[in-house]
Amino acid sequence: MNDFAWLYDWPQYIPDLLPGLWVAIAMTCVSCLFGYVLGFFLALLVEAPSKLVSYSALVVVELGRGIPILVLLFLFYQGLPQLGVLLAPYPAAVAALTFSAAGYSSEMIRAGLGAVPKGQSEAANSLSMSVVDTYRFIVIPQAARISIPPLVNLTIIIFQATSLATVITVPEIMQQAGIIGSATFEYMSVYTAAAVLYLCITIPGAALSGYLEERMGTPKQRSKKQAIKALLPAAGKLRTAEERQLTN
Amino acid sequence: MSISHLSPNSSALEEGAPAMEGSFVSAVQLTKQFGEHKAVNDVSLDVAKGEVISIIGPSGAGKSSLIRCLNLLEVPSSGRLRIGDATVDFDTGTPSKASVRNLRNYTGMVFQSFNLFPHFTALKNVTLPQMRVHRRSKAEAEERAMQELKRVGLESKAGAYPAQCSGGQQQRIAIARALAMDPQLMLFDEPTSGLDPEIGAEILQVMRKLASDNMTMLVVTHEMEFARHVSNQVAVMVEGSIIEQGPPEQIMTAPNNIRTQKFLSAVLGR
Amino acid sequence: MFEIFAYIARGAGWTIVMTFGSAAIGIVLGLPLLVLAESKFALIRGIYNSIVHVIRGVPTLVWLFISFFGVGQLGITLSPVTASLLTLSIIATAYMSEIYRGGMKAIPAGQWEAAGALNLDRWSTLRFVIGPQLFRAVSPSVATQIIGLLKDSALVSTIGVADLVFRAGIMTQYHAHGLYMFGIAGAVYLLLSLPIAVFSRTVHTRITRRYAVA
Repeated sequence: MNDFAWLYDWPQYIPDLLPGLWVAIAMTCVSCLFGYVLGFFLALLVEAPSKLVSYSALVVVELGRGIPILVLLFLFYQGLPQLGVLLAPYPAAVAALTFSAAGYSSEMIRAGLGAVPKGQSEAANSLSMSVVDTYRFIVIPQAARISIPPLVNLTIIIFQATSLATVITVPEIMQQAGIIGSATFEYMSVYTAAAVLYLCITIPGAALSGYLEERMGTPKQRSKKQAIKALLPAAGKLRTAEERQLTN
Repeated sequence: MSISHLSPNSSALEEGAPAMEGSFVSAVQLTKQFGEHKAVNDVSLDVAKGEVISIIGPSGAGKSSLIRCLNLLEVPSSGRLRIGDATVDFDTGTPSKASVRNLRNYTGMVFQSFNLFPHFTALKNVTLPQMRVHRRSKAEAEERAMQELKRVGLESKAGAYPAQCSGGQQQRIAIARALAMDPQLMLFDEPTSGLDPEIGAEILQVMRKLASDNMTMLVVTHEMEFARHVSNQVAVMVEGSIIEQGPPEQIMTAPNNIRTQKFLSAVLGR
Repeated sequence: MFEIFAYIARGAGWTIVMTFGSAAIGIVLGLPLLVLAESKFALIRGIYNSIVHVIRGVPTLVWLFISFFGVGQLGITLSPVTASLLTLSIIATAYMSEIYRGGMKAIPAGQWEAAGALNLDRWSTLRFVIGPQLFRAVSPSVATQIIGLLKDSALVSTIGVADLVFRAGIMTQYHAHGLYMFGIAGAVYLLLSLPIAVFSRTVHTRITRRYAVA
């Protein structure tokens, strides 16, 4: 066997893994959709005036964030039968990922909601807007600026976490790779192909989240480069003068 | 092109002429270029020992860049610079580490944003550089630090962290930190700009005292009162060049350059 | 009942070894990587960036299987423990160096300038001025990352390291009652993450209390 064959023969396994990629993407979409909606309501509940409600919501959040996703998968797949609930692998995996996504996202959403100044909802109140309208038109759009970049990041993390669903036999990428690997013993090639498939999603995803962070994020402290730029007010003025000419 | 009135042979100073023997600092044709933009454009400047020069001018004129060029926080793109016995020629490439160190040994710098080390007490801010750079013992450094803190009126704040001090106090600690390094030239980069006027006054008081102790000082400032009453020389900088330099009374009351007149009438409101 | 609990809880040994072993390696090796990340040569920064992106972009499970099954196929057989520790350490290193890089950005340029103006040499600047502020800036993220590694360490069960999850799985096979078994494992994870969070918070408040910059 050629030890270095995997360096070039991995692409041949990509077509066999593609069905797994679609499963992984579908799982990500479903889990994140449910998870973020759940996370939003958990965020509201954590901020609820009732201590009981607030603490129970916080416990749910901390369970979602604190328990490894692998353990959540086993709990939903092998644990729930103990309560008489039998879930097929796919729903069990989605349930585990949703639970985790809800926990993580609720903290991100809460941070976003918390960053909106109190005066904003007070102003809406004083205009006698309804609570729903206040959230819909005033609070959420402003909170989104803070919350969306980390949520995009979380989506990438959840996508990566779908790989764990192989342990409960969901036919995602790693499951397919394992099947091919044990049949051909070409583990290195197959898993390299799997890694490349994941990168096809995660690299553009990371670029998107970086871009959003830059566009939406709060201005950070000056870096060295920015400090130098700041020393050039005249150059800045030149540029704006040019722009003014362009717009005129 | 600038002319120091204290120079014995100032008449000999023509375009790009070598610096005079008597000066302590001599910058010759310094230019600092950021991309296309010349922040400092062919500036020559001489400072005699004990002289206080205020650099005034509209914002964005390159005053800060010039003063930062003098201790090589910005490395000039071309020109020559001598402070004391340390000389650097920027036309022949980037200066060596040793020559940077040599030159900085002569200078102390006070920033607009203080730049105290937030994780050290006032005392440690002043002692640590002495111990690391001048290899002073801890006791020696602390004794000196207390002297300098006393000089700026803050010996009581020795144990405080910067965050526990007001802006004015932080700036005075920063001055003490610079002084403890035995600089022969103090560079002030808009030391009062970040402060309320009445707080700025206490900084100016400290600087006045320094000037009367014969410290050589270069001060970028918007404080026209200080420029007028404390400095021996005022240099007016516009668009990267020193357009006029002379005794404060003459600059303030009878400036030759029309752009100086414009600037002064804007800031003095007359 | 207690025996089952004890059997699963003993898996915490490997969980702790994996977590703190890889965290320690990452914390140390992340620092020299910072030199590459902050290099003045665009090529070196580019190489660093691609390596970090690839390491972080591929799921941990894939790396684990590559180093266990894949490398094994190439004739270098790593034990499950070695393969796990190696994988987690590489991932930890990539994450830590990114944390350090973020921390460097949080240090204002004025700190470098002040150190330069005072003529501090490079080593003194890093050791006395930048280092302590970097430590303060990154300590919460490092703690979060260690908790992340704790959770990631659960994956080592998939290649046969007898950690919490592995043992909970065995007990489920013997006795069913998966909810209890994995519930115990989950509870131990929560218990383990608690001291890390508390420790980090105390360290952070202690170093921040006096010189918190508003």
